Amino acid sequence: MLREIKFVLQLIKLNIASAMEYRASFLMQAVGMFINNGIYFVFWILFFDKFGELRGYSIDQIFLLFAIITLGFGMALTFAGNANRIAEFVAQGRLDYYLTLPRPVLPHLLFSWMNPFTFGDLSFGVISYFFTGRFDPVSIVLTFVSAVLAAVIFVSVFGIFGSLAFYIGNAKEITFFLGNAMISFSLYPIGLFQGAVRLILYTLIPAAFVGAVPVEIVETGNLKLLGYLAIAAAIGATLMTVVFQTGLRRYESGSAINVNM
Amino acid sequence: MQAVRLHNLKKTFKLKRKAPGLMGSIRSLYKPEWNTVEAVKGISLEIEQGELLAFIGPNGAGKSTTIKMLTGILHPSEGEAEVLGYVPYKQRQQLAYHIGAIFGQKPQLWYHLPPIDTFELFAHIYELDYTAYQKRRDFLVEALQIQDFLETPVRKLSLGQRMRCEIASSLLHAPKILFLDEPTIGLDVIAKQHLREAIKTLHEEENLTIFLTSHDVGDVEALCKRVVIINHGQVIFDDKTSALKRQYLTHKIIGVRFGREIPEDFSVRDAELLKRGTWGAKIRLDTSIRPVDDLIMALMSYAPVVDLTIEDPPMEEVIREIYTAQESIHLNHKEQQEVPA
Repeated sequence: MLREIKFVLQLIKLNIASAMEYRASFLMQAVGMFINNGIYFVFWILFFDKFGELRGYSIDQIFLLFAIITLGFGMALTFAGNANRIAEFVAQGRLDYYLTLPRPVLPHLLFSWMNPFTFGDLSFGVISYFFTGRFDPVSIVLTFVSAVLAAVIFVSVFGIFGSLAFYIGNAKEITFFLGNAMISFSLYPIGLFQGAVRLILYTLIPAAFVGAVPVEIVETGNLKLLGYLAIAAAIGATLMTVVFQTGLRRYESGSAINVNM
Repeated sequence: MQAVRLHNLKKTFKLKRKAPGLMGSIRSLYKPEWNTVEAVKGISLEIEQGELLAFIGPNGAGKSTTIKMLTGILHPSEGEAEVLGYVPYKQRQQLAYHIGAIFGQKPQLWYHLPPIDTFELFAHIYELDYTAYQKRRDFLVEALQIQDFLETPVRKLSLGQRMRCEIASSLLHAPKILFLDEPTIGLDVIAKQHLREAIKTLHEEENLTIFLTSHDVGDVEALCKRVVIINHGQVIFDDKTSALKRQYLTHKIIGVRFGREIPEDFSVRDAELLKRGTWGAKIRLDTSIRPVDDLIMALMSYAPVVDLTIEDPPMEEVIREIYTAQESIHLNHKEQQEVPA
């Protein structure tokens, strides 16, 4: 385990070095994502300024929701940048490189690329957190841990949907669609959704686990709920590993030209 | 000691068939049709430790599929494979510590970073002791002459420079077998020459087993003592490179330059005139029809000979003949199968 962590750290170092080769482009992408998030943010500020509250959420909870989601999503794709590209790798037969090296394929693939856009998410998450005004150590630790668990869930969901490519050929669109749906639903107060939709948000598209649940954990300091979130993250990661490893037996390679960026 | 042992290795792929156009796409949604393609149809092969073997064949012959099964990338549909005592598709990770693989069109080096950074990553991947890694790296840098561009981003290297760095990266862990799939693809003559020399040196100095696939017959001639030819997923030739030439070289190319001009109607009995110049000619002679000495005597009695060369036809031509012969056998076999009883 320790040697795998050391290896992943080495990959992350290399990813940062690779991203730094194009500093201007890197900064522009990160700033672009920051602005993109900011537009949503401004919308909610204007909304709550007019209406005050929405299904139990005030602007303070929205700041916290944004902070956790953008930190979680940012961490997920900053470190495991290939999480939402698994379907492409499988469909185009680009796993050969990973299969010829003596490392587990899934972590090696996940951590082999850093998405520069997500630096914008990370920095946005930190700034959003400043808006919450929660500077006590407990809240900071709970927010950080919840964001890390949200990151694991994001990676797992992308990984599971992407691995469907082993079975259905091309799962790029479904990964994109369901990934976007998860992010979009998670950015709204959970009280807006009832019945079947709410069930979906706790199962098939687990948006609640990356938004509403972590917000409740930080707000209430409920460690039991944090434990449940950790269990959900562990189930997600296990499921992703099983779906990927089982699918890998069906991998057909291909003649596409690869480049490690 | 055997490095590779294959017994009746097979690989089939299921391919979806779709009629052209939009209607074809819609039809394939509710009534998909599948074809089974046998990419490798039962290859049996044994390779000794330290051999440098050429594994050649036309496009779609099954070369890359075989290499991918040997490196654990693909699971075979049937048959057995053992590489250095490991079953590749079951013990991929253990095997990977002892083999190196280079796929000409699938670079391992990180594109935006200098090769030295990928080397460092590979030292971590293979868990090399840092001092041992540095020593090994310095040796390979020297052997492959890559010191001048070790710190240049890969995207700025020429194809030849990049390929030498690729080879260095795949040899850092001192593998026992190196799989080279089209290593000289796209290289110019000089770069090819440099690469071949480097491969030869490393093979000789380290008793490295090399499994080489290439479309470039020059690679085979320059490097390999044994050649295995596959076509349609089956081995059609497995012998020494010299035997390949002997068995299929039924003719010679003879170049002659006379001491005087030759007439326009110059011709040669029982031989093919490939080219006729003012002072000489190039002749293709089937030695089973007319002996070489007989032709030479005839040429010398025709006019004073200033220069004379006798050459084997290029290896490329020999292999093309084998492919063509195999292709016609394959077609005949197919036609016979299609004739109703």
